[in-house]
Amino acid sequence: MIVLVLNCGSSSVKFQLIRTSLEDIEAGTEEKLGRGIIGKIGMTTATVAFEAEGRPPVRETPVILEHRVAIERVLSLLTDPDVGVIKDRSEIGAVGHRVVHGGEKFAQSQLITEEVLREIVECIELAPLHNPHNVRGYEIARELLPDVPHVAVFDTAFHQTVPEHAYLYGLPMVLYRRHGIRRYGFHGSSHRYLTARMERLLGRPRTEFNLITCHLGNGCSVTAVQHGRSIDTSMGFTPLEGLVMGTRSGDLDPAVILHVMAKEELTLHEANTLLNKHSGLIGVSGISNDMRELIKEAQRGDQHAQTAIDLFCYRLKKYISAYYGVLGGADAVVFAGGIGENAAVVRERSCDGLESLGMIMDPKRNEELNGREGRISTDDSPVGIYVVLTDEEMVIARDTARAIAGNL
Amino acid sequence: MTRELGVVGAGTTGQGIVQTAAHAGIDVIFCEKSEESVNEALEAITVALDREIERWGMTKTDKTVILSRIRGTTAPEELKGAPLVIEAVSDNLTLKSKVFSALDSVLPPETILVTNTSSLSITQLAAVTNRPDRVVGMHFLSPVPKRPLVEVVRGLHTSDETVRLAKEFATEIKKTAIEVFEYPGFVTTRLILPLLNEAMHVVMEGVASASDVDTAMTLGYNFPSGPLEVADRMGLDEVLLWMEHLFHELGDLKYRPCPLLRKMVRAGELGVKTGKGFFVYDEAGRRVKSHP
Repeated sequence: MIVLVLNCGSSSVKFQLIRTSLEDIEAGTEEKLGRGIIGKIGMTTATVAFEAEGRPPVRETPVILEHRVAIERVLSLLTDPDVGVIKDRSEIGAVGHRVVHGGEKFAQSQLITEEVLREIVECIELAPLHNPHNVRGYEIARELLPDVPHVAVFDTAFHQTVPEHAYLYGLPMVLYRRHGIRRYGFHGSSHRYLTARMERLLGRPRTEFNLITCHLGNGCSVTAVQHGRSIDTSMGFTPLEGLVMGTRSGDLDPAVILHVMAKEELTLHEANTLLNKHSGLIGVSGISNDMRELIKEAQRGDQHAQTAIDLFCYRLKKYISAYYGVLGGADAVVFAGGIGENAAVVRERSCDGLESLGMIMDPKRNEELNGREGRISTDDSPVGIYVVLTDEEMVIARDTARAIAGNL
Repeated sequence: MTRELGVVGAGTTGQGIVQTAAHAGIDVIFCEKSEESVNEALEAITVALDREIERWGMTKTDKTVILSRIRGTTAPEELKGAPLVIEAVSDNLTLKSKVFSALDSVLPPETILVTNTSSLSITQLAAVTNRPDRVVGMHFLSPVPKRPLVEVVRGLHTSDETVRLAKEFATEIKKTAIEVFEYPGFVTTRLILPLLNEAMHVVMEGVASASDVDTAMTLGYNFPSGPLEVADRMGLDEVLLWMEHLFHELGDLKYRPCPLLRKMVRAGELGVKTGKGFFVYDEAGRRVKSHP
């Protein structure tokens, strides 16, 4: 079956076309037919990028003012005789939608029904920046592809196995009951992919190992995976908690923000933007939110860039160590995401000093392994350290196939 | 959903409306009297956005997106693609009537004409057009991007549909609309002015110092700032004009401007904009705390 994977953001639509089935998942014979992204929706120069296997890539900047036009463009690209990969949209057998927040309702992906849609809408209060666009994307796709099943895959679902003592905050219980204030965790599809992939790399079923999975991209999170289940994760009620990220602060003393709001006379909106858009790597370095650029600047001797990298790696090391304890020992640490897959120096620094926990990096392997999958610890390291190229779209496509087969 | 908005007059309030609508994702075309004024307004909006970035309220990308949605012109007929055109020239009946009459002749008959006024009569302005049912007031408060309220004002002939569209537009730009019927001062101006005026009387009569009056209201009633600082920020000359307008329209003694207000305006102490009113302010408009 061919699955269209859709990820609708506030001003972008990312998409992939993947051929998969229960047999393909088992045999590892899934096939990516095409992928693309439409960005800057709502502006007169939106950006369209599309690449299909064996076809010339497409780059254009048309006027795309709303998501409907964007998703129509996705379908016309996929079926285009020159650049597309399918003859007709009827070849699309199902659509898998990324939905950021599934609250406590969804511990698994769901075939979208009226009931499921209503519950996703109820979660909007928890993710006001993301869920409305995910819902809008679904509504449009349903109109354009009315005869195929649509499946929702939630970023939060994988973390629904986190136990109460790890998801509750030390706050009055009434806030949890009244407003759902608790840790939800995000990047679930990525952490799940890494878990599934490690089954192959370790050659053992997931029930027989523990992992610390580090998804380090624009947003960053670490998850403690025990026997295949998430038992703690660094992102919390929102994706702001945990690691230092490109533009997000991660953990801080909550009193800091109250103090700064009073001192700088900030509104709620300003405080929110300060923490989510002006902090993290860009806030500390004052240079960039891009780790590649910071590494370059630090090599040239820029102290601010170096400080930002130091903070990033130190916070990550703290989480890796903590989760090692939480898990009662780990079989592997996994690095993924743009930074995790490409920044050898970050991997080295965040495992530096963890030899006592059995994490022994092979510097040469680490240095050489960039943008590829493999082991970067020494052969006799008790805890394996790995780089894995994460693939959230593949998880969405697989779940879509499984949900339709009733086999989640 | 509104895709395009026209704005006529890009002074402080006009700029605020342009910026707010563009931030909400609407393409805005604004009209000023000369190329020079157009450029000044664009420059001022850029500065306002930079200040937002400095205060961590937005990112550079947000600024680029917002500016890309804004276009200035000197030709009012270029606004004819917008379903809604807001006039935001100075609050002066003669000037506003002239603008309305000009807009009425160049814009399509279905365009809704909005006037941003804090006290003038919508009915009187509508009378100079051929579409009194499609004329409505929207009173934005200053600074527009920071005040989440707008008063949607019905004139005598304003249709229900026009009021509905004006409220819908307010929601789109993330303002809460309250509906008011035309009457001098509407709700906000009519309620705040007598309070400011009374605070001035308290000072004039020697009951308490300006600073203590403001402290009383901020701490005693949880006002975000005291009435005398509010008056200083509005401009004491503006406060005097509005008081005189209310007094003239309604004739009630409770709207008689406080003599101290008159005296300060005559002395050129107009508040934040001159650096001195009831309190002293620095160039950035921050209140300078006095040292006892």
